[in-house]
Amino acid sequence: MITLYDYELSGNCYKVRLLLHLLGISFTSRNMDFHPGREHKSAWFLKLNPLGQLPVIDDAGLVLRDAQAILVYLASRYDTAGTWYPRQDPAALGRISQWLGFADGLTATAGAARLHDTMFVEVDIGKCRAGAHALLRILDEQLWFAEAAGEQWLCSGQQPTIADLACFPYVMLSEEGGISRLPYPAIRRWGERVKQLPGFIPMSGIFPAAAA
Amino acid sequence: MNRWFAVTPSAAVPRGHIAHAQLLGQELALWRSASGQLNAWENRCPHRGVRLTLGSCSGEQLRCQYHAWRFASGSGQCTLIPSHPGQVPASTIHPAVFAVFEDGAFAWVNPTRESDARPPALSPPGTPLRSIFTLAPVATVRQILREGYAGQAVSLLDEFTLDVSNPDAATLRFMLQPVTRAETVIHAHLQGGLAAAERLAVLRHHNWLLGAVRDRAEAAA
Repeated sequence: MITLYDYELSGNCYKVRLLLHLLGISFTSRNMDFHPGREHKSAWFLKLNPLGQLPVIDDAGLVLRDAQAILVYLASRYDTAGTWYPRQDPAALGRISQWLGFADGLTATAGAARLHDTMFVEVDIGKCRAGAHALLRILDEQLWFAEAAGEQWLCSGQQPTIADLACFPYVMLSEEGGISRLPYPAIRRWGERVKQLPGFIPMSGIFPAAAA
Repeated sequence: MNRWFAVTPSAAVPRGHIAHAQLLGQELALWRSASGQLNAWENRCPHRGVRLTLGSCSGEQLRCQYHAWRFASGSGQCTLIPSHPGQVPASTIHPAVFAVFEDGAFAWVNPTRESDARPPALSPPGTPLRSIFTLAPVATVRQILREGYAGQAVSLLDEFTLDVSNPDAATLRFMLQPVTRAETVIHAHLQGGLAAAERLAVLRHHNWLLGAVRDRAEAAA
């Protein structure tokens, strides 16, 4: 059984929960008191992850930190169809890695702006918001041209990959950090497509696509 | 302002999708029902004021995310208040509904809400380019465009409409959407069809050129 060191309001924890649900893998959440308890900086947790960051998973003794790394591992290990992380396709892996790095940029900008507004973390808020808008502009353009080419997802092809899941949370939570997505209509359509994936789960601040 | 503004390429609002737009400071929920009817509503639930763009489309109705009140495509009339399921909602309960018209390429909205006239002859058949959101007022964007587009002259048709007319090429029309006093969307329409083989390259080329217009307008704003 996989244990996820988890925090409901974390976009990076959410993307791991989302992939686990999409793959239909059962897991146990160990809920961490991130705010205000700072349990992720506690001595016992720093032994698991010296960076003091969430999420972390423990899969039968394999301990992994870093949301993007965890997505790579889970998709490689448990996606029997091999579409979420197509290991046989070097070009796809290159493209996916590009967007996994981009997702870290979203965490550092849109994610940081949200921590500032909702959990009082001190950051340069103007710089975070401007940085997020610069990334969202690039993402919207990428997705518009994907649609124009008859594709639906970040990396070419007809199947979503972990690149979509890695970018999804902090894009969809941007307004909690004062970053409007009104300028990004292609991002909005892509977000709806992610929400319509079978097995999709919402989180606080990310609504389901249609009435239950 | 009693006039029609292009607010989105029609293809950007597929069936069942709720797009988020803004015109002259007014936020809009632009949504298309399952049967294909496009609606332009004030982005505010008449119940508690929550944005309708947070809601979801359910066939011919839009469902508010907050208390699941439902509103009918077309009239906007409230059809269901789930906390009072036996009650017929009063006819006064509906979001503000704007006049909306589609010409085959773009959706147009008249912000006065009164006009039932159709907009004048708009875009002829052709290809909408990628619309460009610009952090600059309409006047600044218009000024940058009037300086020329890819070395070609640009003529002003009215305050919000400009044409690139080159005898050797198809007419390119720009339609400026005033989002707020400080923001503009540049919609663009290339007359005539594009061969499949060159379509993406042409779209990318114009996206690059319009991105440069945006950057210059933002630097000047």
